[in-house]
Amino acid sequence: METSPSKVVVRDVGVTFPGHGRTVVALDGISLDVAPGEFLCVVGPSGSGKSTLLRVVAGLVRPDRGQVRIAADRPGTPATAMVFQEHALLPWRTVLDNVTFGLENRGVGRAEREARAREMLAMVGLTRFARLYPHQLSGGMKQRVGIARALANDPEVLLMDEPLASLDAQTRTIMQEELLRIWATLGKTVVYVTHSLEEALLLGDRIVLLTARPGRVSQVFPVELGRPRGLEVRGSPAYGVLLEKIWSELREEVLRAMDEDRGGAGPRAAST
Amino acid sequence: MAVATPLALLALWEVAARLALLSPQYFPPPTAIAAGLAESLVAGDLGEHLAITVARLAMAFVVAAVPGVPLGLVMGLARPVRQAVDPYIAFLFPVPKIAMLPFLLILLGVGEPAFVLTGALSAFFQIVISTLAGVQTMDPRLLEVGENYGARGARLFRAIILPAALPAIFTGLRLGLGLALVAVVAVEFIAAKSGLGHLVYRHWQMLGTVDMYGAFALVGALGLALTRGLRALQSRMLTWQEDPGRL
Amino acid sequence: MPRWLTDHGIAVVSPVLLVAGWEWASATGVLREALFPRPTTVARHLGQLVTDGTLERHTATTLVRIAWAFAVSAVLGVATGLAMGSWRRLREALDPVFAVVYPIPSVLFLPLVSFLVPAGEVAVVITTAVTSFFLVALTTMHGVRQIDPLVVEAATHYGARGWRLFTAVLLPGALPSVFTGLRLGLGYALIVVIAVEIVAAGRGLGAFLWLSWQVLKVEDMYAAFLVVAVLGAALSYGLAALRARLLPWVQDVAER
Repeated sequence: METSPSKVVVRDVGVTFPGHGRTVVALDGISLDVAPGEFLCVVGPSGSGKSTLLRVVAGLVRPDRGQVRIAADRPGTPATAMVFQEHALLPWRTVLDNVTFGLENRGVGRAEREARAREMLAMVGLTRFARLYPHQLSGGMKQRVGIARALANDPEVLLMDEPLASLDAQTRTIMQEELLRIWATLGKTVVYVTHSLEEALLLGDRIVLLTARPGRVSQVFPVELGRPRGLEVRGSPAYGVLLEKIWSELREEVLRAMDEDRGGAGPRAAST
Repeated sequence: MAVATPLALLALWEVAARLALLSPQYFPPPTAIAAGLAESLVAGDLGEHLAITVARLAMAFVVAAVPGVPLGLVMGLARPVRQAVDPYIAFLFPVPKIAMLPFLLILLGVGEPAFVLTGALSAFFQIVISTLAGVQTMDPRLLEVGENYGARGARLFRAIILPAALPAIFTGLRLGLGLALVAVVAVEFIAAKSGLGHLVYRHWQMLGTVDMYGAFALVGALGLALTRGLRALQSRMLTWQEDPGRL
Repeated sequence: MPRWLTDHGIAVVSPVLLVAGWEWASATGVLREALFPRPTTVARHLGQLVTDGTLERHTATTLVRIAWAFAVSAVLGVATGLAMGSWRRLREALDPVFAVVYPIPSVLFLPLVSFLVPAGEVAVVITTAVTSFFLVALTTMHGVRQIDPLVVEAATHYGARGWRLFTAVLLPGALPSVFTGLRLGLGYALIVVIAVEIVAAGRGLGAFLWLSWQVLKVEDMYAAFLVVAVLGAALSYGLAALRARLLPWVQDVAER
């Protein structure tokens, strides 16, 4: 039995949105625990509410029922910091000022926040670009700034919303290596949303599979591929087995989601 | 909801005028204005003046659009043409077209041609610039698609370039019409003896404030109808475009 | 022949040819000299007007009026636009009022203004400011509303709320549009001030232009027109250059 208390506790969270003429149930009773220092990946088809779940944990979306608790081991630091898809950097601030943004808002002194920001920029390899503006950077670099921004805030839990989705495959692979390295160094608790099962297997300790809308927890898969982990794990037999197993479940959900988009008669109907 | 605030303001005005908080001579109550407006339209010559303004506007618009759109297109497609014409456009665009009125009055005499041409000039530059922008900022990949699938020359123009530039052209026409209206009414105010703009001036000089506000309101209504109407037309005709824009 | 030579060559040669052609046509009578005076004559006349101070006086008057009108419309317009962009209620309330008033030519407000304020400089300035105010307010409001909602969400997540959100996110995010609005507003102020001067003023470039027409001093008309044109260009393009300096993060998307 797990004795150390969870870092993040999600209990029976439900979220509904007003949609076009009818309400949409995005999440329907999600419960899960995240252990301290764990790298948890959340996968699911489009519309399964993965991003919504992350936003609930971040406090950006108020759930209609249920609750989220985050263990505050270090008072004074924020509970979460999120890395957004499409970076969401402030275009009118330099890279450095973007990274210090959260610290600024919390009233941290100039010297300290600059030092912290530079440390994080060094960690993501962008020291030379501190004084540039976002539009002068490539997509991959912008994402790294987003990561640096989140890390600079030293949150209890790091949330990542498909941070590598908008990158080309090559940059994405490099960034995955980077993430593994950074996480191994800092040991943060991470909740990571992704479309890519391969990515989830590469990065995560456990994988939570959500169903098609309305999103519920379908299954939770432990990922026993050893730590520290590198890209070579993708060639191991254990990886292949897990990939097959989880994909067959995920595939069902993806087809169900596509069905719903079509209003009923879709590939699923055709394949049975 | 959209009408609530204007109605509230008008109600406030009504009350203030009736209670003489506002001088009823300079700010007659809206109901009186409305009544005067109705009367002038039915029994008086207000309808005529409205028609004259609209006629001038229509002609100004045609005179601006007919050469303006093709010029913009040619400038967009042929670099030497753009280089040659650009300096004039760049120089004259920021000039208040009303400043051209005296010249036109000398050249064409004090009459319709000068009035219409001033309005046309206001619209012309906007139309050319917007059309040119429409051609220049179109997605170059669309051109590649066209060429790759065998469209050349005239066909490429008709099937790819023109439709791609159409939203910008339409916006330019819409803005141009608005500018033409402003110019025509301003010219009427200053130099003409007919039209809504002139009416506002005449009634102002004679302190016939009820009629003055009536003409004023009609100008506002005309402007509103044109901008809204054209925007709706644009949405209707260019169904693939997302948002014709705010102004 | 190198590209840049043909490019800028045409742009330079074309107006030069035009002026030269005009000079010839006017001198030989192809164009009526009374209506189309020779460019050299106009230039000489312009020089005269400059030395005897007439041009300076009128230009200064017009510029002062524009400056005041612009200041008023800029301050009120930006404030209103920011407020409208940030509060939906306010926007919905004011939008219909704007939609009705905005298309009306500024010059038409002169009577209204004259009822409220004694005739004189103040009336001219306020009338000039009206349409510019609406222009600035509308573009500013649009500027706030077009900020990427994801950026706003991220900023909120990283602790920017209320006033802080406004100063750190909404304001800078709207700045490029505000600048465009100010530029358009300034251009409009010039247009309106000329028209108002024609109707109601004794001094100023518009008044000078109109008076010259009335006494048929054609060279004066051309001189006045040139000054107005240069003014228009300076205001319009000057602000554009300023923007590149003040807002280094904005990439221009074919703008005029």
